[in-house]
Amino acid sequence: MDRIIFGDNQFFGINHMSEEKAQAQSERFKDINAIIKVIDTAYDCGIHAFMFNTHDRVAQLCDHFRANPEKYSDLRLYPSMPYAHKYANAVNEKGMIGALNDFVFAGRSVGQALQTVVRGGLTVIKRDMIEVMKILVDAEIRMFKGLNVKAVFLQNIITDLLLGLGAKTVFVDFANHIRSTYGVDPAFNTMNLPRLVDFLLKCGIENPIVCSSINKIGYLMNPDKPSYEKTIETKPFRPMAMSILASGAVAPKEAVEYVASQKNIRSIVFGASSKAHIQETKDMIDQHEWSIADPLTIDR
Amino acid sequence: MLRGAVIGFGRMGLTHFSILNNHPEVQFVAVCDSSSFMLKNIGKYTGVETFKDYRKMIDRSGLDFVIVATPTGMHAEIVKYAIQSNLHIFVEKPFALNVQQGEELVEMLKGKKLVNQIGYVIRFNDVFIQVKKLLDAGVLGDLLTFKMEMHGPTLLKDAKSGWRSKKQEGGGCLYDFASHSIDLINYLIGVPDEITGSVLQHIHSINVEDALCSTFLYQSNLRGNLLVNWSDPSYRKPAYRFEVMGRKGKIIADLHAYKAFFREAPSFDGFTEGWNQRYITDFVKPVRFYVRGFEFTRQLDYFIDSIINATPCEMCTFEDGLKTDMMIERIVEDAAKRRA
Repeated sequence: MDRIIFGDNQFFGINHMSEEKAQAQSERFKDINAIIKVIDTAYDCGIHAFMFNTHDRVAQLCDHFRANPEKYSDLRLYPSMPYAHKYANAVNEKGMIGALNDFVFAGRSVGQALQTVVRGGLTVIKRDMIEVMKILVDAEIRMFKGLNVKAVFLQNIITDLLLGLGAKTVFVDFANHIRSTYGVDPAFNTMNLPRLVDFLLKCGIENPIVCSSINKIGYLMNPDKPSYEKTIETKPFRPMAMSILASGAVAPKEAVEYVASQKNIRSIVFGASSKAHIQETKDMIDQHEWSIADPLTIDR
Repeated sequence: MLRGAVIGFGRMGLTHFSILNNHPEVQFVAVCDSSSFMLKNIGKYTGVETFKDYRKMIDRSGLDFVIVATPTGMHAEIVKYAIQSNLHIFVEKPFALNVQQGEELVEMLKGKKLVNQIGYVIRFNDVFIQVKKLLDAGVLGDLLTFKMEMHGPTLLKDAKSGWRSKKQEGGGCLYDFASHSIDLINYLIGVPDEITGSVLQHIHSINVEDALCSTFLYQSNLRGNLLVNWSDPSYRKPAYRFEVMGRKGKIIADLHAYKAFFREAPSFDGFTEGWNQRYITDFVKPVRFYVRGFEFTRQLDYFIDSIINATPCEMCTFEDGLKTDMMIERIVEDAAKRRA
């Protein structure tokens, strides 16, 4: 796992603190070239790992990466899927079942669609949720074909909804599907780290990668910061920290110091839009001594 | 341990189930939906009993409360049956299809000690909790003008299927979307004395409106405007913008931040004269379990706490829901008058 991973929220008008800032970012990154420029800046600063949501714009980025294999020869991707708002709008128009139907069929090739017919039932209604999940996962991941994917994340809204349902089988089958089909680690984004880690371990998913907001002021850390700290210290999993700046509420230096003080954190995901910010944050992270020498060994 | 059930397992039903399913005082025992696909999978992966008939479910499950998250058109008959069965009820917004239905339900509740709550979730948003606190403290002095705006990309093309495009099932921007901002106006400012200048506008939908505006007048020297559009592709998700001005200052708020301008700063929370910017990170507290937003958990935990502590309902009661339904009806009447 990479120590530093560059995130993409800033490109898509996602800002948890300010709708105004989100709007401004969305205007700035309207042009895909503006996004590529920032990606290249990060890449040139030595950050070669990126977490991407399966947004339509990311599909364009992936085309760009594939078209320039030499330039991005050391690229490492950590996709997070699904991009939930894409589904939300379809659900508004057609209801949950109608939307699922659309996405399942949009995600299949003609051959696969025929197979589906043979297996019985043209609609998702006759099928099992797990099968629907696998088809949707495959459809989402298709945009990364041919690129170096290190782990596949389940996006937080879906993770947390399923965690609330207590749907063990869905987690286990998702994990197995990612491992067997793509040969990489399954990973999870969440707003409820302590509960999720306990649950994943109970599901038998060993040493899971779990990414969540981890910051000095406890923003988006549910149910509370002490539970996060205890979980990170005592449970056998691979924590990744995001929102370390708490949308700007914590100064970068303090933010990195806090995360570095939490033993066992493997990676930091951060997003920024200017060269100065990217370099500054990277330097600050690099300056710290991290408690895990070899991030890939399971030593707890 | 409270025994609960969800009726209507769409996006909101699923969210509510997920949020309360691991509440230490709640056990979900049943789910009711019209979709066999949903029921089959819910039964299989969560282990609760599933029903297609809500009456049968209520009769057989020994429930303490129900969560009603069906299309609005079905709220009244289900809520009626739930009241008759002495259940505590959380029902999604808006309350009912018309004022008559709502009045009947509020009447039925009289004399019963049942917790009743409508899903006007924005009242539980941390910024709007602060705004309410400031307005109640009178920091703006006599109010003069306000503007409530709500925009979102909910419907971006002709929707021929689905209940959101059917007036008789509670579809349309006014009922399904604008009701949130109308409730917020009732909550933060109060019910207006006169409604005028209402326009319901079609953008994509044929049978229902996609946008609306209206002017609210109060007997005090206060005037407000409501501007709503659920077919605005420039937004990533529904967004609110509330601006209120009084003789002593102004507040501008959205779901993530607010700024307040004071001619004379109130003597608390570190406010100073002139502009004061506050972000959600300045005051938000985490929740027991987070799905899709802090406010979703806060509203349901409030509901459960009200049942456990037998406290009288004060937030988003059926009466509040009825008030909003009445405003909706007045907006429709005002708009029709203009067309006639």
